[in-house]
Amino acid sequence: MSVIHARASGLVPSRVSATGEQVIAVEHLSKRFGGVLAVDDLTFRLKRGTVTGFLGPNGAGKTTTLRMLLGLTRPTGGAALVFGMPYQEIPNPACRVGAVLEATDFHPGRSGRDHLLMLAYAADLPARRVEEVLSLVELQGSARRRVGGYSLGMRQRLGLATALLGDPELLILDEPANGLDPEGVHWLREFVRGFAAEGKTVLVSSHVLAEVAQTVDDVLIINRGKLVLASDLHDLIARAGGGVHVVAPEAARLHELMLEQGYDTRILDTHELLVRGVTTAEVGELAGGAGVNLHELSTSTSSLEDVFLELTAKEA
Amino acid sequence: MVAQLRSEFVKLRSTRTNLGLLAGMIGLVLFIVLVMGFAVDQTELATREHQTAMFSLGLAGGFIAALIGVMSICSEFRHGTIRPTFVFTPKRGRVLTAKVVTSLALGTFFGLITEALAFGTGAAVLAIRGAELGLSTEKVLLTALGSTAVAALMAALGVGFGALVRNQVLAVIGLIVWFMVVENTIMSLAPDVGRFFPLAAGDAMTGIDAEELLSASAGALVLIGYVAAFFAAGTLMTLRKDVR
Repeated sequence: MSVIHARASGLVPSRVSATGEQVIAVEHLSKRFGGVLAVDDLTFRLKRGTVTGFLGPNGAGKTTTLRMLLGLTRPTGGAALVFGMPYQEIPNPACRVGAVLEATDFHPGRSGRDHLLMLAYAADLPARRVEEVLSLVELQGSARRRVGGYSLGMRQRLGLATALLGDPELLILDEPANGLDPEGVHWLREFVRGFAAEGKTVLVSSHVLAEVAQTVDDVLIINRGKLVLASDLHDLIARAGGGVHVVAPEAARLHELMLEQGYDTRILDTHELLVRGVTTAEVGELAGGAGVNLHELSTSTSSLEDVFLELTAKEA
Repeated sequence: MVAQLRSEFVKLRSTRTNLGLLAGMIGLVLFIVLVMGFAVDQTELATREHQTAMFSLGLAGGFIAALIGVMSICSEFRHGTIRPTFVFTPKRGRVLTAKVVTSLALGTFFGLITEALAFGTGAAVLAIRGAELGLSTEKVLLTALGSTAVAALMAALGVGFGALVRNQVLAVIGLIVWFMVVENTIMSLAPDVGRFFPLAAGDAMTGIDAEELLSASAGALVLIGYVAAFFAAGTLMTLRKDVR
């Protein structure tokens, strides 16, 4: 883990856009609620055209950070800059930044269309734009209905439609997959990838790494308000997770065998191994040749989750 | 600013809240017209004082009018729409200003409808009971327009008050306590002080003849002062306090 920690400080390269401005620059940001330091000296930057996962357990300070970025909450210290300035100073910000904070931010008695219309007007956008985003999130059929009758998935999509009204170049999503069914999660993933493919930027928070592992380029992990890891996802997988997960009754013996062959292997539990730089086929053949029984052999993604848990439990 | 006004207008028309408030205001004011029209003897009914009180917006109408403004801000906090609202318009003062303007307009509209109905119904009641309208045209106009202005100002006052309290339930309870208990108590204990309070100032504007009240124009100035003070305090609070 120390390797990862060493990489954590100032890892995400601060790429400067053509106009010389950062998409997001968070500098020594902190927020105190009474006696609790919810966000503690947080510093990170976001690369244009990337999807960054903002991860941490519940209560880690993710939502507070996002709200400071959006000017809803005032930092106790430091700065949260979007496009080089505090959010409040961005002219007509909805046309540059789209945000989904809570899936519940609707008046239940108002139709989906009117919800979008009231915000479209606030950003000086034409009513036509409401129809465009409705079709983008596939909600045209329900637009006239009151939001009170929407499913959670429909509310998430309405929230996303709200964020997309101004055709922003940066999306900030707070736990967007919460309450979505698998189909919805898939839809969201495709959407986010497509959005980033157009050269736009996404910051998406989650308390489950696996949820965003297939979507993000970079990860920021915070715990107790502090940044514990900033990394490229590939690096994270390669360094921490990328390997073959083996369950075998004689795990220790297999471990010895793998070591003799020069593999990077690690005992996770009495019956579990994690081997790096190897395919499942190679492990299977080696074990078969030595007569070692295997109960499970898989390319590990759960180990990614283990890293996440380890990192976030560390200072508990 | 035009953008925020259009946005606020969509908010006003897109839920049933204001329809409910309009129904409530008409209902309460007509109820009072009917009670005051039928529950007194012929002599009392003929007096100018009684007729003025009967036609004016009164406590209940003022209360509903104040709810227009309170709901416009507190319902956003209650349902969380305050977040997208402030994300789209981070200059929060603009949002509150737009709310005051639309609340003034809606209060005026509610006041006009309610007063027209009150005078129509009141005139019918007087006719049924064979009583004369003892008010001059000038006095009728003062009461109707004064009541409408009170409805508009109360709605505007509600925005500032609501922004200060934020919590919808607390704001409504606070309003009830203020309207039903606090002002009455102060007015009966110390009318010299009480007449400078918002409801008493509003009553003065509707032309109710009572020795302890201010003149109509002084009442208007006092009420406008309250609107400005609450708006300033509510705005200051909204600019400083986090939205969670």
